[in-house]
Amino acid sequence: MTRNNEQARRDPLAISDEDIYEAMKDVPGYLDVTPGDLKEVYAHAYRHALARIASSVKASDLMTSTVHAVGPESPLEDVARLMAREEISGVPVVDETRRVVGIISEKDFCSNLGDQQARSLMGVISECMDHRSCLAMTLRARKAADIMTSPAITVHEETVLGEIRAVLARNRINRVPVVDRRGGLVGIISRADILRASHERPC
Amino acid sequence: MLARLTGYLKKMQGTTRSPPRVSLREIFLSWIGAFLGISAVGCLNYRILDGSDVPMIIGSFGASAVLIYGAVKSPLAQPRNLVGGHVLSGFVGVASYQLFHAHLWVTAAVAVATAIALMHATRTLHPPGGATALIAVIGGDSIHDLGFLYPLVPAGLGAVIMLLVALLVNNLAETRRYPEFWI
Repeated sequence: MTRNNEQARRDPLAISDEDIYEAMKDVPGYLDVTPGDLKEVYAHAYRHALARIASSVKASDLMTSTVHAVGPESPLEDVARLMAREEISGVPVVDETRRVVGIISEKDFCSNLGDQQARSLMGVISECMDHRSCLAMTLRARKAADIMTSPAITVHEETVLGEIRAVLARNRINRVPVVDRRGGLVGIISRADILRASHERPC
Repeated sequence: MLARLTGYLKKMQGTTRSPPRVSLREIFLSWIGAFLGISAVGCLNYRILDGSDVPMIIGSFGASAVLIYGAVKSPLAQPRNLVGGHVLSGFVGVASYQLFHAHLWVTAAVAVATAIALMHATRTLHPPGGATALIAVIGGDSIHDLGFLYPLVPAGLGAVIMLLVALLVNNLAETRRYPEFWI
């Protein structure tokens, strides 16, 4: 039973027999095809479309080009303020030539707070409550280079959607900086950007 | 062995359902189209060429009317299939009869089966073609006497006349267009 549910969740084609039958009624005239065959063709066409889109849509098509970045010497106080103000959960760290040298995410902040190596926000809050103090103060004096993840995982502007999805999934990350041939930061792609792209269904 | 038999029988179970019924408008348009189409070949047969030995109407035209007035979107109803199917099958039927008619059940079977095979091969599959081939064999003297004229007259000619009616009448309807393709 669980296998069937998992299968259904992974199956991108959520068209039912009833959908096909009703659709046939929407077209005037006698359609010389059985509902079964029509559903089969639809499923194949949908699969072809997904594959085509996954291999043709590129990082440059999806990315947000105005991307905030910090330098390795940026104080964490400034980094935190930037992330809070822009409501972003991750920020690339770039050198003076704008080459990506690392990335800082909420996780990096969390795992560097306190003694317990808390990996989640709730872990930090829980520790704060235990110590009856704010652990964030310990990071005030430090800089971006201290807590950033380096080297950062990046994708090239020409990387296709299918590969980008794989990168996010494989590394269990929620965003990835997009770089040009030189390694310079040109944009950033988040899971939200990919979700938005997936909603542009083929007609 | 039993598994194979079960598998074989299971294929007869059916996997899907009948398509939905068409609208009343469609039913009306089908009736009108068929009435006009058959009238055209009927008038040719019973009035205009009444005295001649050449029959202008054959049973398979009723079958073609179902397709070209009743199921106009079907690949089987398109002009290529209509005309190609009748002419080709007529030819196959006559050829079968002329080659061998000692045992008509064999002749008939060969005619129809071969007509289907050749219609498939030439992408002109048209169910009434099977009837045209069969009529060439079982149609009696008036058909046999036509020899190889039969595929053209009445088969091809009747098909073309009905095609003209289909082109004119089907496209008058707002919800219809015909044909879907020529080639």
